[in-house]
Amino acid sequence: MGRIHDYSVLRVDLETRDIKREEITGEKVKNYLGGRGLASKILYDELSPEVDPLSSENKLIYATGLLTGTAASTGGRYMVVTKGPLTGTIASSNSGGFFGAELRFSGNDIIIFEGKAEKPVYLSINGDQIELKDASHVWGKEVPETTDKLIEEFGDDRARVSCIGPAGEKEVMFASIMNEKNRAAGRTGVGAVMGSKNLKAVIVKASEKQVKYNKEEAMKVVKKQTKMLKEDGVTGEGLPSLGTKVLDNIINSNGLYPTKNFQFGTFESTEEVAGEALVEKGYLQSNKGCYGCPIRCGRDVKLPNGRSGEGPEYETGWAFGADCGVDDLNAITEANFLCNELGLDTISAGTTIAAAMELYEKGFIDQEELDNGPELNFGSSEAIVYYTKQMGLREGFGDKLAMGSYRLAESYGHPEISMTVKRQELPAYDPRGVQGHGLQYATSNRGGCHVRGYMISPEIIGAPEKLDPQELEGKPEWVKIFQDLTAVIDSVGMCLFTSFALGLDDYREIVNAATGFDYSSEELLQTGERIYNLERQFNIEAGITPDEDRLPKRFTEVPLPDGPQKGEVSRYKELLPKYYKIRGWSEDGYVSDSKKEELGI
Amino acid sequence: MKIEVKFYSLFRLNLKSSGIEYDIDGAIILQELIDKLDEDFEGYFSEKLLDSGEIRTGSIILLNGKNVLHLDKLNTKINDGDIVTLFPPSAGG
Repeated sequence: MGRIHDYSVLRVDLETRDIKREEITGEKVKNYLGGRGLASKILYDELSPEVDPLSSENKLIYATGLLTGTAASTGGRYMVVTKGPLTGTIASSNSGGFFGAELRFSGNDIIIFEGKAEKPVYLSINGDQIELKDASHVWGKEVPETTDKLIEEFGDDRARVSCIGPAGEKEVMFASIMNEKNRAAGRTGVGAVMGSKNLKAVIVKASEKQVKYNKEEAMKVVKKQTKMLKEDGVTGEGLPSLGTKVLDNIINSNGLYPTKNFQFGTFESTEEVAGEALVEKGYLQSNKGCYGCPIRCGRDVKLPNGRSGEGPEYETGWAFGADCGVDDLNAITEANFLCNELGLDTISAGTTIAAAMELYEKGFIDQEELDNGPELNFGSSEAIVYYTKQMGLREGFGDKLAMGSYRLAESYGHPEISMTVKRQELPAYDPRGVQGHGLQYATSNRGGCHVRGYMISPEIIGAPEKLDPQELEGKPEWVKIFQDLTAVIDSVGMCLFTSFALGLDDYREIVNAATGFDYSSEELLQTGERIYNLERQFNIEAGITPDEDRLPKRFTEVPLPDGPQKGEVSRYKELLPKYYKIRGWSEDGYVSDSKKEELGI
Repeated sequence: MKIEVKFYSLFRLNLKSSGIEYDIDGAIILQELIDKLDEDFEGYFSEKLLDSGEIRTGSIILLNGKNVLHLDKLNTKINDGDIVTLFPPSAGG
């Protein structure tokens, strides 16, 4: 095993079953760090951006971050990068848990899957023994059963599994990849690409838990940063106590809690479904943490009917709750469990049902089409559970829902009812109530998404400082910095939640200490900018032009009808020209030659 | 006049209370409301919400859904029928 910044790459040809070992070192690592950045660079260099995402030509890359497997706080994350079926853009989806760290320990920092296996297979990594194995017996099985069965066969219950469920096999456009049963590389449909390759899982157990880095130097920084994370109000108290669902009441009270497919900005039953209710009703059993995490925001939950599992997180609870008009925490949690078992992205699953409800209530979907399923009315707890299962298995009307809300609404001639950007469903913040966040949605490189530049942090929460959510001045600058910094964090392999307490200088400090690199803060942030621009360039070459930097017209044409933000619309169009300028792109949003030259793309 | 104060997140769980209603003679400002809460909750709120006489970074105080940091901070006037919502530093995503 080499030094931490010498990446050991496994190239797996699923068609020929050939497995090769390669190395990535030097400038490439310095320029792209690892995880999201380095995997995007590999994809950009190797893949023709025009390929059909679900064809055998597409590649699926598992990549650990630069500090994954070290003692860096939350340093256990991995990223799955591919061309996404939902958006047609570069897709990258990030997950915590323990799988990423185990993969790094095993000396396989990145795995590139190519081609398509003739029959279902899984990749088994047992120390130095690496082989593709038959997965016919687990094909069709849900995530928990697949995980248990593969670990049993492996013969060591310390092995970690990352796999798809039936949704990925059936190429549901927003299928996830799940590790340790409940942790998800959720968004952008990475699970569908894995399914299209007949790849069911990766199981890994390292022979020794060791990553070579400057441990002594790094530990000094880790000690300091752990203290910062523990002492911060958000990461030391709020997230550990209430998890992400602390946000329900915050976002609802601020009037940007999307309700009934973004038709309203407040939900009258928020008290029933909020994070506080999860505690007060006694459903919450205990906290859970990922590898190396002092925050521990995960939740173990048990329902009155005896079902237990992880979740729901804020986004999930909202997608099946307020967005579908449902106030039944039991049904919401059950839908969440189904998503984890079937391998579905909870945000896209819930909000696709919400879009279907609006289409149904407006008379665009006929009852006969529902194949005797429950009516798709807002507020129906029966519908969210029933159709989540149907879409994961592509049965009945679920087959249509499996396309995602954009293709669904478009098939009825009403794409405007789909609340998506670049065909990916928007998460739980109405952009009419947060102007910077709306710009971030419009320009996100993986379509509608909140974790590519979480402007909610300054605009609503007040970290690192409080900005007026309706102010336009300065927002393009903030969005650029947040997008670039997020690209750094995603590539380093740490959790985005650390950024509530840590800043750019802190990330520089831990990266330099662990690797011996000598980044200045500006250079590190520029690395993030490079990654962001590379992703943008991939998208443009894939035919996703700047014309698609846009929000559904509901947000610019229909003012919010209720709550504290009543009367507001999104003014992101006023911000776009300034944003392009700050990015150094052409006036119409293309990555300019001078910017490419400056960043070495 | 009537003012409704709502507690969320750790405030609600720690105090085992979802809020309080006040009936007050004449208009007051936010600082005076916090003083009043302190009388009823043993100084809890100025300790949690304030830092050296200013609103603590990350604390969220909303007047009818608008953050008081963009109004008149601790001098924000509270009127009859207003709803004040209080959160300790909290985030998710």
